[in-house]
Amino acid sequence: MAKYGLLVFPERCTGCTACNIACASHNQLGLDVSYNRLEFLEKGTYPYVKMEILPVQCQHCDNAPCVSVCPTQATYKREDGIVEIDADKCIGCKYCMAACPYEARQLNEKRVPEKCRWCPEMLEKGEQPACSATCMNEVRLFGDLEDPNSQLNKELAKHEVYQLLEAKGTKPSIFYVKK
Amino acid sequence: MTNLSRRTFLKASATVVAAGSVPAYFGFSEFKKAATEESVKKVPTFCHGCTSYCGIIAHVKNERVWKVEGHPIHLKSSGRICARSHGMAAYLYSKDRVTGPMKRVGEGKFEPISWNQAFKEIGEKLDSIVKQYTGNSVLWLEHGTHRKSYVDRLFDTIGSPNFTTQYSTCFNAKTNAWLQMTGTSLNGDHKNAKYMIFEGRNFAGGIIPNGMNHITHAKENGAKLIVIDPRFSEIAKIADEWIPIKPGTDLAFRLAMANVLISENLYNKTFVQQFVDGFSEFKRMNMGYSPEWAEPITGVNADKIREIARDFAKYAPQAFIEPGWHGLHSHYVNSTQTSQMGIILNALVGNFYEKGGLMPSASLQMGHLDLPAIENMPEKGARIDGAGVTGKYRTVEPSRGIAHITPLLVQQGLAKAVFICNYNPLRTAPDPEEQKKIKDAELVVSINIDWNETSYYAADYILPEHYYLERLEHPQAVSGHISHDNPQLALRQPVIKPMYDTKNTLDMLKGIADAMGHKDLYPFTIEQEVEAAIAPLGITFEQLKKAGTLEFPATVKPGFPIKKGKPALPTLTGKIQFSADLFKIDGKLGIPVWVPPLVEPDPKNDHEFRLIHGKQPWHSHAMTTNIEQLMKLSEKYQGTFMWLNASRARKLGIKTGDTVTVRSNIAKKKVQVKVTELLHPEAAWLPSTYGGFSPKNRTANGIGVNFNDFIPIMVDPLSGSTMAQEVVVTVAKEGN
Repeated sequence: MAKYGLLVFPERCTGCTACNIACASHNQLGLDVSYNRLEFLEKGTYPYVKMEILPVQCQHCDNAPCVSVCPTQATYKREDGIVEIDADKCIGCKYCMAACPYEARQLNEKRVPEKCRWCPEMLEKGEQPACSATCMNEVRLFGDLEDPNSQLNKELAKHEVYQLLEAKGTKPSIFYVKK
Repeated sequence: MTNLSRRTFLKASATVVAAGSVPAYFGFSEFKKAATEESVKKVPTFCHGCTSYCGIIAHVKNERVWKVEGHPIHLKSSGRICARSHGMAAYLYSKDRVTGPMKRVGEGKFEPISWNQAFKEIGEKLDSIVKQYTGNSVLWLEHGTHRKSYVDRLFDTIGSPNFTTQYSTCFNAKTNAWLQMTGTSLNGDHKNAKYMIFEGRNFAGGIIPNGMNHITHAKENGAKLIVIDPRFSEIAKIADEWIPIKPGTDLAFRLAMANVLISENLYNKTFVQQFVDGFSEFKRMNMGYSPEWAEPITGVNADKIREIARDFAKYAPQAFIEPGWHGLHSHYVNSTQTSQMGIILNALVGNFYEKGGLMPSASLQMGHLDLPAIENMPEKGARIDGAGVTGKYRTVEPSRGIAHITPLLVQQGLAKAVFICNYNPLRTAPDPEEQKKIKDAELVVSINIDWNETSYYAADYILPEHYYLERLEHPQAVSGHISHDNPQLALRQPVIKPMYDTKNTLDMLKGIADAMGHKDLYPFTIEQEVEAAIAPLGITFEQLKKAGTLEFPATVKPGFPIKKGKPALPTLTGKIQFSADLFKIDGKLGIPVWVPPLVEPDPKNDHEFRLIHGKQPWHSHAMTTNIEQLMKLSEKYQGTFMWLNASRARKLGIKTGDTVTVRSNIAKKKVQVKVTELLHPEAAWLPSTYGGFSPKNRTANGIGVNFNDFIPIMVDPLSGSTMAQEVVVTVAKEGN
């Protein structure tokens, strides 16, 4: 069984937002829903200044707060590591939205707190999800953490990585390359 | 926009703007459900979001476009596409498309008209204009040259030399300098480069996806990237160094770089001796331009200029200064000289025709239809815009013309009939109030897909073209901006059937020509044209349709072109001409010397700024402004804001999100501000996208401002450009 993970190279990102709209197209999202976002930060003072960009989306945590707070098990963790929502079981209580420290969830037009799905239909075929496939700078790399020969594991071995809000103990499936 | 208060992991300031209710994405949730089980048809074609024309693959379900992906082979996309490419595909379903031919019946009022009636009325009117004022009073304005071969047949018939592109508002100083000095045009070989200078050039804003991919990989292989720009542009994000130069002074920086290369003997003497004409004159005239001379002009430390020049020479010939586009290469009075200096610097260190340096584009010899000659061709007069005409704009390329002076030509009675195709001068050319006067021509026809400003305010007739996802075009040899050894051929073909009562431009011209009495001027179909084009290439139409983009064996090799042992560039001497013949006007030597910018903000006046502009990565100038999905990104990322340097803004008491009044000699507008450390203090920076003012393009209308609002119509004397960054504005907080 595969266990999916994502490695992000924030240093490569130039903020074009193609990931944003490629995801929206692929998933046919409403205009007001977005499964990923970029956070921009200026550092320093002119002219000694640089910009950092951080791509953020659902972290598909192994210890996901959204899963543990869901009263109806609408949100659950799949064996392959993907955190999924069964919209039919969702009662719209929004506990998951409050629990997620990454603010990864948004209400869709049917009041279901949706989020990045990690496009399993692509991962299962060994393809990159839309956000990664469209990226000119190859900022994202999805892959199978269980497969020692996956490109993901090869790259993980090469880089020092960190995770978002590690102290919260959520155990995300997304790794960010340190500069 | 969501009403979530977002956690910001980078602690960046993120303003969340509440939005009104908007229809669902693509507006087809029912379709989504029904189509889930349907099979997906994949049709390759190419994008129309900008002139990169990236190869894409459209995914179609139930005869509806679901999404697009990058074409894996296409030189420009190589499987990866930018945000606007996705947005352009979605725009197929825009509520603001023109759904059939329209005739103006009043101000902002149009009535549907049949194609036949439109052809009859336009044809008869055009015929009477030609009879009364000659064919030279007829003007065709187009974004690019896609339809030029069709227009040429009509213009040869009526005797008009006035085919005009939008290039005077975009990049013509670059192409003009390259034409005059080299007779050709080369591209950076980013993949193999060790040292790249991007000066006033931004592959990550005016996006070439595969170019960025090459740069990303080259950098990981150790290549250095230097970005010189008054603004920390998107590509500066991944640069080794950002050098914020004072806007409009890049020419001084380049003159000083050359001075270092020559005075420190760092230039490639063998290359210069063999392949350069006019070096000694250049050397003599360049002597005074030391880095110390350039420092106070550019604001760049003399030692830094020396360091860049030395590194450039050290890594040459696996190095280049990117040949440039738009901002720096069309929008200052000294843009032509700046472009010339780009050629000269690359030549001094011998980057020409070198792997990792500058390389030519692989080209293809396509076939063409053997069309009957046009009988009784009238003699064509001189271009009415004066491009290439002695006594007017002699040095401006006549093949491109000067688009932005069209309203003046109308007012002077020189332009009587104006066709404007896939182009929107009312929003993308200087001084919209002046541009509106195009409507005073006796006949104005706008060929476009939506209700852009030009159609709404100036057109007598709007002829809606098939959208790019609905039409077949003459195949395109892929080239430009990225070096490539293997020629490629791309086809634009229908992905779905046309949704509305639209046509391709060839059929429009057929209809108009017929109505003028020029029967059978176009005795062919586009299908026949494609067949003829590919005939010499050993491929079939079916193959091309299936592949979308085909690649052919390599034709390009490194090495300066030589014929019979002599340099063989298409110039007078076969060499790179440091002294461009055509620029030897008014007693000048045609060699670039320092030309200061036309205007300067007063350094003592805290309110004065130079207004500069650039592309935003999710918009393609004003072309994509009306796309809802892309405007959502603008909303999410404060995209409509004007940038001001933090220390300057502080002096004026301006904070991010404040509304300010921006004034130039011709306009006064209000805009919200982003206060940033990422901009030269002298500049105010605007994204080139916003300021839509057509009430029928409902997404764009009334959002933000445009740099063109603030600039009068000016013409750069050498290349004919708008000089759109030669404008000083005052900025004041609202209420002040």
